[in-house]
Amino acid sequence: MAMGYSSAVVLKHVVKSFGKISAIDNVELEIKPGEIFGLLGPNGSGKSTALKMLLGLVQPDAGLVEVFGVDVKRDPVAVKRQVGYVPESPRLYEFLTGLEYLDFIGDVFGMTAEEKRERINEYLKALELEGREGDMISGYSQGMKQKVALVSALLHKPKLLILDEPLNGLDPKSARIVKDLLHELKAQGVTTLMSTHVLEIAEAICDRIAIMYQGRILALGSIDELRQKASLPGSGLEDIFLKLTGAGDIKAVVEELLK
Amino acid sequence: MNWKVVAHLIRVDMKSGRLIRGGRLTRALERKLITYVLYGGALVLGVVVGCLVGFFYNSISIVDPQTKALFDLGLMSLSLSLPTLVLIYSLVFTMMQQIQRSGTKFTIQAPYWLPITWNEHTLASMLANLLGFPLISIAFIGPALIAVSFFTGQVAFAVLTLFAVLASAFMASAITEIFRTAQVRFIGAVTKSSGRAAVWVRFAGSLLFFIAFYIVYFTLTSGIGAIAFVQTIATTQGAVWFVPFFWLGMFLYSFIGGMLWQTLAFLGLSLLLVLSLFYAAVSLNKRFGLYEPPSITVSRGVYAPRVGLLGRLGFSTTEAALIRKDVKAFTRRRELMYVFVIPVLIILFPLLQTVGAMGQESPLTAPILVLPLIFLMPSVILAVYLGSVMIGEEGEAMWRIYSAPISAESVVKSKYFFIILFSILVITATGIVGVAVFHPSPRATIIAFTESFLLMFALSAFSLTIGIKGSDFRELPRPRMIRPEWGLINLIVCFVAALAILAPFIPYVFTVIAWVPTIDPYHATAASAAISIVITFIAYRMALRSARELLAKAEM
Repeated sequence: MAMGYSSAVVLKHVVKSFGKISAIDNVELEIKPGEIFGLLGPNGSGKSTALKMLLGLVQPDAGLVEVFGVDVKRDPVAVKRQVGYVPESPRLYEFLTGLEYLDFIGDVFGMTAEEKRERINEYLKALELEGREGDMISGYSQGMKQKVALVSALLHKPKLLILDEPLNGLDPKSARIVKDLLHELKAQGVTTLMSTHVLEIAEAICDRIAIMYQGRILALGSIDELRQKASLPGSGLEDIFLKLTGAGDIKAVVEELLK
Repeated sequence: MNWKVVAHLIRVDMKSGRLIRGGRLTRALERKLITYVLYGGALVLGVVVGCLVGFFYNSISIVDPQTKALFDLGLMSLSLSLPTLVLIYSLVFTMMQQIQRSGTKFTIQAPYWLPITWNEHTLASMLANLLGFPLISIAFIGPALIAVSFFTGQVAFAVLTLFAVLASAFMASAITEIFRTAQVRFIGAVTKSSGRAAVWVRFAGSLLFFIAFYIVYFTLTSGIGAIAFVQTIATTQGAVWFVPFFWLGMFLYSFIGGMLWQTLAFLGLSLLLVLSLFYAAVSLNKRFGLYEPPSITVSRGVYAPRVGLLGRLGFSTTEAALIRKDVKAFTRRRELMYVFVIPVLIILFPLLQTVGAMGQESPLTAPILVLPLIFLMPSVILAVYLGSVMIGEEGEAMWRIYSAPISAESVVKSKYFFIILFSILVITATGIVGVAVFHPSPRATIIAFTESFLLMFALSAFSLTIGIKGSDFRELPRPRMIRPEWGLINLIVCFVAALAILAPFIPYVFTVIAWVPTIDPYHATAASAAISIVITFIAYRMALRSARELLAKAEM
């Protein structure tokens, strides 16, 4: 467990607008150390904006964002040192090879040569990137780029993982490895905050889930708590999600499209 | 052939071209009216110029039959050489368009998913390439020729010349299309066969291509070269009639000579050539239009980190990593390789002109302005350019810097060092060339080198500041790196700063033209150094402040 902190992440009355569009509307959130927390919501609900705020990649118009007790606005570098981040569509340095990219990341996070050598080789092997690590990233498939982005987030042993759609484009084996890895990291006290559209993944690995809609958190809790809130005992996350986000009448939409 | 589809594809190509040039797709610019005004304006101007020339022709016909004969001959020579001339300059301009749009070709993939034939793709691409200067120039030349012909009585010849000119432009565009597709395949094959050296082969190949291209471009577009070229074409065309690219000219030549069968033969051959080139382009597009070049392998084997020289020079691991990454970016990203072309061209052109008189046995004496051009310009221009794009070149991968624990101090230090390092390499190269070719005096050499360094340090710090403030991380359809208005501000600020640093030499310039008593240029250099140190210090601090603001804002 990451000792000494009662909360890994705190968002207090956070507000963010892009022009007339309200991306985050008075969000309050607290994530405990060692928790795997899922952010769900339809497209444009504010998930990615909320995740970016934790790294200072988006500045809130109002409110407080803290990571391990550090105000992100006040000391962003200290926060970044403890975080591993995978954005939704990671743009990597395509002119570098996979190996050069990871070496760069290792240096930026101040890893020793020995740590870099050991961990890079381990991850390359685990995610089956061996044999292509010396190729320029521009020649990689989408899935391979995602793997490199994931390795670069995990390389320096962060205390907090911020993953925006982390399993995008991964093959089933690699996806399974990442899921198991997140469980193992949880056991070591690493906090994970992830957004996903794949509800089965959220259901399978998240301790708690927040459902966002139009910049607000509609519901927050464990799967059981969400079932109770949605008054759908015994239902899956998909039904809960559709009910809470008001997208329940799917059948009528499909019938209209088929006319 | 679905002409509606072709028209749509041309519009897509035009808009991508506009995006590349940094134009905004506002409604005003979308209006067809502007296009009509542009082409219509060229047409009207052509008619006006043609009529004026015609009136002049009429006036000399009465008073001076000798000048009239000379005029007739000149006009005929021009008409006969026009197809070849249009072919060559259209080739240069369409190639430039293609170089600019090469990135977009690969990013705008949607047309390739749609039921569009390769004939339509190829024709649209060829016609889109002709839009702009090639077609505007024809819109001017054609009506001008026809207007003149009403006065000279050569209307049929003028109409046929216009036809030949249009066919030449189309031919040029077809050749460009063939070249574009073939070079994608060729580069792919070279990459595949050169293995781990692929990065360097690509680097050297790109540089050679750009340098050769610009030499041809500047030779053809510079006044004396162009006139000499027209004369050569007009006089030698008949002797090389068997070269297909002269067939359109030969068609006109035969027509004016009244050789009916020969006229028809060259017309037929020309049309056949145009069609062959078009279908060759279609066929190549079919095979390689969506060709994915093989990935480049740089290294193999188990990863073993190395302790770098930069670490020993006092750079932190983060700073060293940033510098190494940028070195790779500039040697592997095509859009950044231009940096190496600029100084080479700057050295090459004065050299080509000066050493043009190679027959001279004695070493060339350096004119006072050539020395600074060789010594100062390339490294200083490089520093100014690099400074302005060093942050923007990160592109959309800037999230990596934003989300990593990198301080503003590290960013500025590493970027600044990179600029200085590259500029020093250039100044060394240009310096050696300058000294070897012009044999300047030791005093001139020392002063030129010192001033280059002083300018380099100060201007690169200013450019870096402005590059941070005006950084543009958008990458599609091509990396922007700096917003145009900030690019302009950068030039102005650097110009003013350069004037301030060189100010102590102003009296010395006057001594050369003997207005004021001679002063010691070393004193001027010392004063210049003092000014430069102050300016560099201020500019570096400004860069730090801008970087802090950028990283604090860090909005993506």
